[in-house]
Amino acid sequence: MQFFLGKRTFLIVLFGALLLIPILSTETQIFNAYQFNKYHIFIANLVMLYIILALGLNMLIGFAGQLAFANAAMYGIGAYGAGLLMKHFALPYWVAAPGGVLIAMAAGTLLALPALRMSGIYLALTTLAFAQFVWWLMTHWTSVTFGAGGFIPPPIDFSPIPVTQEIGIYYLTWVAAILLYLVAKNTMASSIGRAFVAIRDGEVAAESLGINLFRYKALAFAISGFYAGTAGALYGGMLGFVGPESFDLLQMILHKAAVVIGGLGSIIGSVIGGVLLTVSVEITKELKWSIEMAFGALLMLFVLFQPTGLVTFIKRWVPGWREHLQYLPEREAQRSIDADEFVEDGEITSTDESVQERQP
Amino acid sequence: MSVALKAQSVSIAFGGVAALQDVSIDFPQREIIGIIGPNGAGKTTLLNVICGMTPPDEGEVFLHEVSLTGMKPSHVASLGLRRTFQSSQLFPGMSVLENMMCGLHLMGSTKLFGAIFRSQAMKDEEAEMRRRAMEALDFVGFKHFADRPGSALSFGQQRIIEIARTLIYEPKVVLLDEPAVGLSVTRVAELETLLRRIRDERGVTLIMIEHVIRLVMGVSDRIVVLNSGQKIAEGQPAEVRNDPMVIEAYLGHQAASE
Repeated sequence: MQFFLGKRTFLIVLFGALLLIPILSTETQIFNAYQFNKYHIFIANLVMLYIILALGLNMLIGFAGQLAFANAAMYGIGAYGAGLLMKHFALPYWVAAPGGVLIAMAAGTLLALPALRMSGIYLALTTLAFAQFVWWLMTHWTSVTFGAGGFIPPPIDFSPIPVTQEIGIYYLTWVAAILLYLVAKNTMASSIGRAFVAIRDGEVAAESLGINLFRYKALAFAISGFYAGTAGALYGGMLGFVGPESFDLLQMILHKAAVVIGGLGSIIGSVIGGVLLTVSVEITKELKWSIEMAFGALLMLFVLFQPTGLVTFIKRWVPGWREHLQYLPEREAQRSIDADEFVEDGEITSTDESVQERQP
Repeated sequence: MSVALKAQSVSIAFGGVAALQDVSIDFPQREIIGIIGPNGAGKTTLLNVICGMTPPDEGEVFLHEVSLTGMKPSHVASLGLRRTFQSSQLFPGMSVLENMMCGLHLMGSTKLFGAIFRSQAMKDEEAEMRRRAMEALDFVGFKHFADRPGSALSFGQQRIIEIARTLIYEPKVVLLDEPAVGLSVTRVAELETLLRRIRDERGVTLIMIEHVIRLVMGVSDRIVVLNSGQKIAEGQPAEVRNDPMVIEAYLGHQAASE
């Protein structure tokens, strides 16, 4: 039972299907029987990008508890970094893409500086301001970024492998998504993951146990910058075009929605969230709804009624989905403490006696 | 008597209010020292200064002759000084075992790459952490709680596990901020036994702020009394109990003169 329903089976089926979609499409001329077209490949590629984005953002906000709103900016920095290095310096994609990722990672790490002094809503606003600043640079610094119209990076050369850019980037994303899933899972199951959750659940206590706040906050921001930058560099390659409208506030809401729908503080939840988000965006487009309103509402509904995401349902009902660390929203954690406080092993634990004994 | 921890002429003021004034205390090794005093006497401030959370305006704190001046709490923790807090600080999002393993955070020598690739060294280290965590849980008798979420335990149980978490790194000094708050009479008796065992079996110096006078008088080897940021008495529980300065601090001037 566990073997068939567990998360490992889910991942094998998901990535197996993603592996097969281009092969079964009319584009590659291998099996013409199925009606997968270019658009389906594009959507499948987006699914994998959103899995990467959700994984990176979840480690920052779900595990380390840093309420940052700059993920779309990091995504953009990755895409712009890689594209501009190709465009201005004629670097091959294989050099420019890691370059873009490193720039995004560096920018992400810089955000750890305000995070050391601020938390919660203040950090959210600061990172949001940073994201808007990055977006302004993309639209206004025309001499470097080509402004609001965006630009077309040079084509990517996959030789000697005989694939088109589309299929090449698709499988590159496929490999990246699997590797980054494993990295996220292993890292969060280690003492690094525990340090992140300790900082989220109680900074003061974490520090008293020897956890260096700055080091681990910087690491959380660097990791999320790395993930978003990687997704960005792949996104630019997939689209063959880089423009500022892909990295605006709506994009940030989509990343956040993917994390929250899947489950804050759950690695497998981010995989689920990435898939569901991309699919829901397509459905919303199909129905001609406003994406902004649909996802704003969805995000709000989840935060209010199911703050631990869909993954808690699955964990409750299906065997084989257990994970190491848990996410408990503050009020639920508080509730479980309050409920126990005065009843301990069936006896009434009164604080009155200690009050009485306060005077010698 | 060797001194484990030494506070030397510590003074600190918050916006003109002197929270601690020229406080000097020697904390001998392998002893339980109770710190008592009325509300606002500066007890918690003293603990915060010792563990590095609040840097003092003047004075120094030495842990086995090493000055802790200017060190962050995480650095102080690495030198073998651990603490608990007034409110429970178990991490609700982790199991009890994972909480305990956080206490061993500094043991980790394999860093990012070991974690990413789940290297053998890192797996061995995790196994060792788990073993030590179970051992420390066994010491306080809560081994069976290992897989429960931290938030699923009662307040009293969380406090005991928090104490166990400070012990896991084999500290020299442990600071306890009101460990008995909210505990029932039987629990306080259990806590008393536990504190003695920590001192005798682990050789740890325990520095405890406590309002439950029966506990603090019963278990402490030495008591320090603070009032308005000043040390007004120090000595054996029996001496301190009869000190007119102490009675005055707690009950007021008139009661002391009667």
